[in-house]
Amino acid sequence: MRRICRVHPRLSLPTHPTQRVVLALRRVEEVSVDDEQAPIARLVTAANRGDQEAWRELVARYSPLLVSVIRRFGLSRAETEDVAQTVWLRMVEHLGALREPHALPKWLITTGRREAMRHLASGRRDWPHDPQQDTWPSVPSDDEGPDEALVRAERHEALLAGLAELPGRQRELLIMLMVDPPLSYTSISERTGIPVGSIGPTRARAITRLRQTPPMLAYQTEVEGLSRSAKGGRP
Amino acid sequence: MSTQGWDDDQALLADLGDAWREVAPVAAALTARAHAAYSWRTVDDDLLLASLRFDSAVEPVTSSRAGGDGPRILVFSSTPLSMELEVLPDQIVGQLVPPGIADIVVETEAGPAARVRSDERGYFLISPLPASPMRMRCETSTGRLVTDWVSL
Repeated sequence: MRRICRVHPRLSLPTHPTQRVVLALRRVEEVSVDDEQAPIARLVTAANRGDQEAWRELVARYSPLLVSVIRRFGLSRAETEDVAQTVWLRMVEHLGALREPHALPKWLITTGRREAMRHLASGRRDWPHDPQQDTWPSVPSDDEGPDEALVRAERHEALLAGLAELPGRQRELLIMLMVDPPLSYTSISERTGIPVGSIGPTRARAITRLRQTPPMLAYQTEVEGLSRSAKGGRP
Repeated sequence: MSTQGWDDDQALLADLGDAWREVAPVAAALTARAHAAYSWRTVDDDLLLASLRFDSAVEPVTSSRAGGDGPRILVFSSTPLSMELEVLPDQIVGQLVPPGIADIVVETEAGPAARVRSDERGYFLISPLPASPMRMRCETSTGRLVTDWVSL
């Protein structure tokens, strides 16, 4: 915000053509610098003003987290989609109330959990499922107990919430790197426009950044706090 | 298990990959629907948004109206108009509070699914049950209201 204020007075005086070019370049710089900031608050504000692209970007960034939150309640795939869609529909009308950058993930997680619980409790579940139609990819293994499943679900939520907050290029690259079977750097470069030689460094920066996102920091603080108290309050 | 391992780039990326691959197909399948959700955005300063305040499916019912096996009760409230719904197997019985005659439209993702008018006590009946998710829009002499979307 401070940066924008500094540029604005000059923008109001575009007298000479060269100066206009310089100013245009400055604005490009501003945009790319802005891309390094967590874009969520800006997307929420834009979507609330009627920007459909901003809404689509929010959906792309947060659908994986929302699905992950609902998934842990053991709903079928079709039920999960319906519950997730109920949350998205409701969010459209609640955008105006989500001005804080981190209000959105919190709202999604809370509403997703609550709606999944409502669905479970409403007695309208479409059992029995056809297991052939309804299989999830890599369902947690049967030998995983409830505690392990919970820990795993919380880890996954922290990771997906963190991923959603990364700048566009970093997020895109990490998603490409997770494709199974793995893509070659050449093919990733073709799809993302990131030069092959920059993929390694961009990947390293993205991962460092991911560790520092608020959801990842919050999760790690919580887990460290728990393990410390489990060890009897080690100093 | 703890966050041990997340110091290592490869381990962190492997965990993220597990999380991602579990949900990506469903998230992708939902994309077109979630995009379309935006077309339901209402830009109307005078419209009251009635939030879901009570749902007997998740909250204990203390009133004698419904026991554990009774109909599901949903309460949407705004100031000054609220709406209560009893969800029965084949119909919805609704009431506006304060009571009054109102035109009510049931909306689903496919569009308006039913139109009814409440009687002077504020009661109305919707049958059969609409598809999920759904919401109610209603217009009274005192104001207009739309509820949160819910799945029945």
